[in-house]
Amino acid sequence: MVTKRIAIALKLLIVLIPFISFAYTKDDDIHLLMSADKTIKSEAFSRILTAKQVETFPVLNAINGKKLFAYKGNLVSIGEKNGTEDQVTYQVLLLYPEIKPLTDANNNELQIPLSALKPIKFSRKDRLSLIPLLPYINLTSSDKDLRKLAYTQFQNKSKFDDLPIIKKASAKETDTELMRFATETILTIQLQNSKQPDKQLEYIRELEKNKGDNTIFLLNTFLEKNDVLAPKVEKRIQQAVTSLNNRATRIDWIQNLFSGLSLGSILILIALGLSIIYGLAGVINMAHGEFMMIGAYTTFCVQEVFKMSGGPLSDTFFWFSIPVAFLVSGIFGLIIERLIIRKLYGSPLQSLLATWGVSLVFIQLARTIFGDLTSVKAPTLLSGGWHVAPQLVLPYNRIFIIIITIIMIIITFLFLYKSRSGLRIRSVTQNRNMSACLGISTKKIDAMTFFIGSGIAGIAGCCMTLIGNIVPDMGQTYIVDSFLVVVTGGVGNLMGTIVAGLGIGQFTKILEPIFHAVYGKVIILGIIIFFLQFKPKGLFPPKGRIADD
Amino acid sequence: MTTIFKNKSYDYIIFLALFLLILPIGYMLGIISVNTISLWGRYFCFAIAAIGLDMLWGYTGILCMCQALFFCMGGYGIAMHMLLSSSGEGTYGKAIPDFMVWNQVTELPFFWEPFHYFPIAIVCALLIPGLFAGIFGYFIFRSRLKGVYFAIITQALALAMWLIFLRNETMLGGTNGLTDFKQLAGLDLTASSTKLLLYLISCIVLIGVYIGSKKLVNSKFGKILVAIRDSESRIRYTSYEIKNYQLTIFVIAAVIAAIGGILYVPQTGIITPGRMDVKASIEMIIWVALGGRGKLKGAVFGTLLVNFLYSIFTSALPGSWLYVIGILFIVTVLYLDQGVIGLPQQIKKYFSKQKSAEV
Repeated sequence: MVTKRIAIALKLLIVLIPFISFAYTKDDDIHLLMSADKTIKSEAFSRILTAKQVETFPVLNAINGKKLFAYKGNLVSIGEKNGTEDQVTYQVLLLYPEIKPLTDANNNELQIPLSALKPIKFSRKDRLSLIPLLPYINLTSSDKDLRKLAYTQFQNKSKFDDLPIIKKASAKETDTELMRFATETILTIQLQNSKQPDKQLEYIRELEKNKGDNTIFLLNTFLEKNDVLAPKVEKRIQQAVTSLNNRATRIDWIQNLFSGLSLGSILILIALGLSIIYGLAGVINMAHGEFMMIGAYTTFCVQEVFKMSGGPLSDTFFWFSIPVAFLVSGIFGLIIERLIIRKLYGSPLQSLLATWGVSLVFIQLARTIFGDLTSVKAPTLLSGGWHVAPQLVLPYNRIFIIIITIIMIIITFLFLYKSRSGLRIRSVTQNRNMSACLGISTKKIDAMTFFIGSGIAGIAGCCMTLIGNIVPDMGQTYIVDSFLVVVTGGVGNLMGTIVAGLGIGQFTKILEPIFHAVYGKVIILGIIIFFLQFKPKGLFPPKGRIADD
Repeated sequence: MTTIFKNKSYDYIIFLALFLLILPIGYMLGIISVNTISLWGRYFCFAIAAIGLDMLWGYTGILCMCQALFFCMGGYGIAMHMLLSSSGEGTYGKAIPDFMVWNQVTELPFFWEPFHYFPIAIVCALLIPGLFAGIFGYFIFRSRLKGVYFAIITQALALAMWLIFLRNETMLGGTNGLTDFKQLAGLDLTASSTKLLLYLISCIVLIGVYIGSKKLVNSKFGKILVAIRDSESRIRYTSYEIKNYQLTIFVIAAVIAAIGGILYVPQTGIITPGRMDVKASIEMIIWVALGGRGKLKGAVFGTLLVNFLYSIFTSALPGSWLYVIGILFIVTVLYLDQGVIGLPQQIKKYFSKQKSAEV
């Protein structure tokens, strides 16, 4: 009897074993990770690893990054950092079954200090066993670059078994660029593993339509690896590669034109003030680049003031700093005009030397006050770029600079040609003595022009903080180029300045990829000298009596 | 010579006594170190270049902002010769300079070849800047560029050439320049006797260049230069070919600067592109402006004065030099139109004006 009972029990057990093991679903394993018992935790972990389920990847990712916590019976990780320095709080992300931020009763995102979370630790051995799985779990990483890397790895491996996981992981992808990567990866794997020419043609067509970043390379390797391909497939691939290559060249050109446009805008912003001042007062202002530097440091100071007032640094400071930079640079310009340049009207060479001295003093002053390297945090609104088409990204900060330049040009035009002050400036430019006789206070006009010219340079400096660091001698980098713009455009002529600025900017960027940047510069100088052989007074030379010496 | 010494001023005698007698004798007695001697030797080289600039700017009214470029071209020429004459003695024992070994260059570039022999090297170091200035100047003066336009174009040239010299593939040492010279025409460059000799040569060459330039500016040619400065169009109307005169003086100034460069490099032992950037050229202008442009004496005096101040300020108050030179620029341009040399006259004039006002 006893043996029979034991036998029945055994049979029952045998029958039940599959059910028992079935009861161990992924869910349980995930929850077992929170267990206090190390062995149970470790076993659950290795079961999750072997199961290779997409849903568990976020959890594995958190383990890999040592950011796995338990919170009220849920596995969570931390997201964005918030709060002030004394009370740092984090956004809490629920990891399983899908990533989403935890909310409180009022549906607001939870903000929790680190102390409220219980970290779940894993042994080094466990974490090491994760490594072979890294490409898989990276597919669900929160880091864009890691996801991109993972897709690239799969593209090169091209194993058919990976396909379901990639498909499942990429289904949740929202970023357009990465969606392109995912499609590219899936299509490549399908292409590599299909044998029917018709299917292959279909995949190649899809790949070409997808316009992925690596498509040309992938198609070429496919062509090299497979010796026996249907002739029509081979031809189709070559066709696709050529069309994609043509597209890449076109995009390069557009990018170059765009960066030329943005370089030209900066040159115009600086040269605008130079040109007006030279036309009006016959003064070469070598310190003009330093007014730009002052504008940049003003932006930096505004940022620091905003930081001091507490709270997170928002974008407001940058918008605020544009008029402030205009004012501060303008006031500096006014002071320099009053103290030094006023005595040098009509003698460009002397003014060139004196203002060079001013620029040396300014540079050293900035170095003493601010040290050698400072930078401004660009507004988040202007970070990133505009994805016009696959692979064609136009950075927002450059677009912003171009827009600012256009606005400044329009304002300057309206001011010079539609306002009474502008009328006076133009009249003094044409004939100083006659204007004075007609009751225009030329001194006031000079001061005003200097203020505006320096102010525009200040705005240029404000823009420069978006694309580089602030250094004391940043003005010197652009000053020679912007003088060339003034000379080429014809002194004191707005239209000439704009055309020459755009031209020099474009030429620089077109020549740069063909020759080296340095030789590009030399060639441009050669072109300008050659050009001045025929038009010694620039593109738009002054006409009439003011043209006389 | 006699016409120069007929001047009743004593400054020539003071100059000669100070630099040809007192300094060398002080060195022999051990009061003055060899470094001081060498320092003044270098200042003489700058003064030579400044004389050329003064003839261009002070006499002809052309503000050239690339004088340091020609200075460095001469300097690079002699530096190349010195490197080649001691090649094989470098760390690697190769027949090419060490920096080429670092850049994985195995063969000497063709334009280094002429610099093997001392006389040819000197001729090249003078000829190349002269030719360069000639070609560049021809196009510039042909299109009647002058005044500010000329200044800006030469400034851009200085910037462009500086960038080219900074590159490694131009085979001129890149940012580090050329250095580690051992000997010049069989003389050991580290020996104090060589340093004294170079100092004396620089001093004598400076005097020679000064006398030559003085003769040039006092000749008919010099008078035309001054006339061009004062009114270019009038000279043109009297059917002088202005561009020939401008071009000639431009080339002469370039060659004079190159002479300065040739003497300068053996004394410093290094030449880098930093000597030829925009800043360096403009600094040369302030030497002339501070001393008194339009007077060769002023150019020499200004150069020595500014450089002497530089050595004092950089050792006593580092970091203050840019303030000093910046303020010097401003004060010179605003108040010292005649330079320091013309200061006594300026003061005399000021007082006589006041007196006449009182009367």
